[in-house]
Amino acid sequence: MSSIQKAIILLVSLCTVGAVSQEPKGSDHIFHVIPMRGVDFVLRNSPTQKKYLIETMPGGVAILDYNNDGLMDIFLVNAGHVRDPMSPGMGFDRHEPTYWNRLYRQNKDGSFTDVTEQAGLANAGDTNYGMGVAVGDYDNDGYPDIYVTNYGRNILYHNNGDGTFTDVTAKAGVGAGGWSVSAGFFDYDNDGKLDLFVTRYLDWSIERSKTCGEKQPTYCPPGDFPPIANILYHNRGDGTFEDVSLSSGIAAKKGHGLGVAFADYDGDGFTDVFVANDVAPQFLFHNNGNGTFSEAGLDSGAALTSNGKMLSGMGVAFQDYDNDGLPDLLVTQLPHQPYIAFHNEGHGTFSAQELESGLGALSGQVSGWGVGLEDFDNDGWKDAFVMQGHVFDNINFYDGSLHYLDPPLLAMNRKGHFEKGDAGSDVPVAGRGAAFGDINNDGWIDVLTTSLGDHPRLFQNRGGNSHWLTISLQGRRSNRDGFGARVQVNGQTRFATASGSYLSSNDKRLHFGLGDAETANIEIRWPSGVRQTMKNVKAGQFLAIEESVAP
Amino acid sequence: MHALLWVSLLLQTQTAAPAVPPEAVSLLQSGLQSESSNDLDSAIAAFRKAADLAPSSAVVFFRLGEAYMKKGDYSDAIPPLKHAAGLNPDAPAIQQLLGFALLAAGYASEAIPHFKKVDEPGPLGVAQLQAGSPAEAIVNLRAALAKTPNDPDLLFYLSRAGAQLSSQSLDNLLAAFPDSPRTHQAKGQSYFEQKMYVEAEKEYQRALALRPDLPGLRLELGQIYEAQSDWPKAEKEFRLEVKTQPGNGEAAYRLGDVLLQEGKMKEAAEELQRSNTIRPDMADTLYSLGRATAASDPTAAERAFTRVTELEKQTALAAQAYLALAGVHRKLGKSEQASRDMQEYRRIQASIVVAP
Repeated sequence: MSSIQKAIILLVSLCTVGAVSQEPKGSDHIFHVIPMRGVDFVLRNSPTQKKYLIETMPGGVAILDYNNDGLMDIFLVNAGHVRDPMSPGMGFDRHEPTYWNRLYRQNKDGSFTDVTEQAGLANAGDTNYGMGVAVGDYDNDGYPDIYVTNYGRNILYHNNGDGTFTDVTAKAGVGAGGWSVSAGFFDYDNDGKLDLFVTRYLDWSIERSKTCGEKQPTYCPPGDFPPIANILYHNRGDGTFEDVSLSSGIAAKKGHGLGVAFADYDGDGFTDVFVANDVAPQFLFHNNGNGTFSEAGLDSGAALTSNGKMLSGMGVAFQDYDNDGLPDLLVTQLPHQPYIAFHNEGHGTFSAQELESGLGALSGQVSGWGVGLEDFDNDGWKDAFVMQGHVFDNINFYDGSLHYLDPPLLAMNRKGHFEKGDAGSDVPVAGRGAAFGDINNDGWIDVLTTSLGDHPRLFQNRGGNSHWLTISLQGRRSNRDGFGARVQVNGQTRFATASGSYLSSNDKRLHFGLGDAETANIEIRWPSGVRQTMKNVKAGQFLAIEESVAP
Repeated sequence: MHALLWVSLLLQTQTAAPAVPPEAVSLLQSGLQSESSNDLDSAIAAFRKAADLAPSSAVVFFRLGEAYMKKGDYSDAIPPLKHAAGLNPDAPAIQQLLGFALLAAGYASEAIPHFKKVDEPGPLGVAQLQAGSPAEAIVNLRAALAKTPNDPDLLFYLSRAGAQLSSQSLDNLLAAFPDSPRTHQAKGQSYFEQKMYVEAEKEYQRALALRPDLPGLRLELGQIYEAQSDWPKAEKEFRLEVKTQPGNGEAAYRLGDVLLQEGKMKEAAEELQRSNTIRPDMADTLYSLGRATAASDPTAAERAFTRVTELEKQTALAAQAYLALAGVHRKLGKSEQASRDMQEYRRIQASIVVAP
């Protein structure tokens, strides 16, 4: 790239960042959309007239503390250079810095420093078009590791604990192949070691791509390509993984997997898996507790909309939105198909409540991707945030009532019913990824988002007067991240995970809004079965809880 | 054998016709044999020679025309058939075949008198439709359907005729009253069918500006908003329609359904129940009523969904109702019934997928 090209890109980036800071704000908005000092990343998806389907699907974002300094860092997945048209053997130019994934370390003053190259995370491989990211400490060494999904080969980066990472994909045996989308670490057999689940979208390749649309070229629907199975890797504990997709029953079901999320929905002590499928029944893989899974979506009521229609499932959150102690599901999808709340009815069953929950009224004309259920106003009820934007960049040509670019949705939870909130930005974007966490450690949950062809946006929570509590788990018999633990605080429940949303990985700390309460009672059920309780814990603190040795 | 019978029948009608030379009869028989063995070119050659030898024989020209018809050369069939008809205007077979030849070659108007002569309402209706007379076509197609009620071709042409008549009426309306409320309503409806929502909305707004009290306008405008998932605007229009027409069950259903989409379950249930009272046992209304009450009153939902399954059998809506019933039964702790519902759901779904 010439120096002039670099200068133009830099200028465009600066101009765009400047525009963000001028976004209008209402009086009751939850977030400021602020520029992130030191972050010059642009998600380069390279749209073409050939409409290769991968172009419209990236890209992920992670909030993590990779160096354990207590400050949240961010990792952004870039896509790649798609030529128009692509010929056999062509790569995606991932060796070019423009197309690198990026790791930004947060500094004490809230700015960020690009540490990609020194961390060993540059150049994700020319044959890999980037998609998503999962974060988890798979070797229990206390440092979060990073798994990047691609169209191509996925990459596992082991965190060396000294600010650098090593690509251990080959040794670990988790390269997958084909088109991987979202991924997540979880411990399905409660052996204290994090396993890895990878969703795959389609049996598709550049060579077998096709273009749809009668008057203007556009992306073909997923049904035009064969479905494919997701992948489950079992962690052997020696730095290697075993592909147990077949033996576990995961590969018995083929779909169009996009988002993935984990929780123990039936309270049997084993973490279950939900896969958001595009134009297909949703998959709820019930963990049988013996290394196998049974797909229970239809029989449990979590596969279809309330009127029996298939969903275009994209992103998913798996947390308890009505404070009944049971994890519910929130699935985002395409326009004219409301976002679905699958309410957990107990006894292993769900009811689709897209209308009762209020989500239907908020989502008829938009496409949803990254999604989170987080308590943004610390009132004790988890709110919803959805990144939005249509799949087709020319959708307006086909349907004048729809848009390619849309602002995100903030839906405030009023005792189990969602109502439109003010996200603090009406700027429309082609939204995709969203990661949730407390980036500035102020006790209020922020959102970091990605948009196609655009820079990431930080929706920084403006805060307020309500109380909060943030808990960091450290497993001993359980996996060190404590993923799979059920944590209950003052009648609220969270299921410990960094997964969910779309392509993205959240701050693994568990955040609770406490409202007026100045103290909290905590009850934890660890994946090992250990139960721990703490009474009268003071609000307004970051609390680290280590797993008790006693059962 | 059949062909020879036709020849004899035709010959019987030629009472005043001159005798056919023996060579022509021989060629006629030779042609018929070729025709029976599907050698249509040889048959046509033989019939042509026979026609040269017997220019006054309607039978010979009829056979020649028929051979062309069998070959698919409809235009070539017309001259010999016209000649035959000139020689024997009373022969129904000649009139009928000439009508078919003309219709097949695109001369629908010319075909009409020939079908009229033989009292063939089906082909006559088709010819009238092609000739741009849908109103007459509908009369004749209906008469033909009275004889053969489930003829798919007749049903197809009848639906075409209906659409054409509607289009003609609309054209007349547009030409005569270009700025009437009904004209704007009709235009709006047309845009709506083409999913041109912005244009459709404008037309309905124009109609409303001229006649705000016209029944149905708000209902149709609301449906435009409904199609765009713009629930608040749809609700507003449906409410206005319901205010104008409180006895309109469709308006009550639409309002109830849009309230349902907005998550206003209590209001939705009330309106849907009202619609069901005005217009009982509409499956769509009952299904929406079930959805509106599923969370708050599962027993009422169970009643509504069950009624849907009684009204609908092998349809997508029946499958949806069983799926919803399974959810309600799970909620009510009736797990065995839920399992049976799911079995029914799967059975109907499978039959819907398998059906062509």
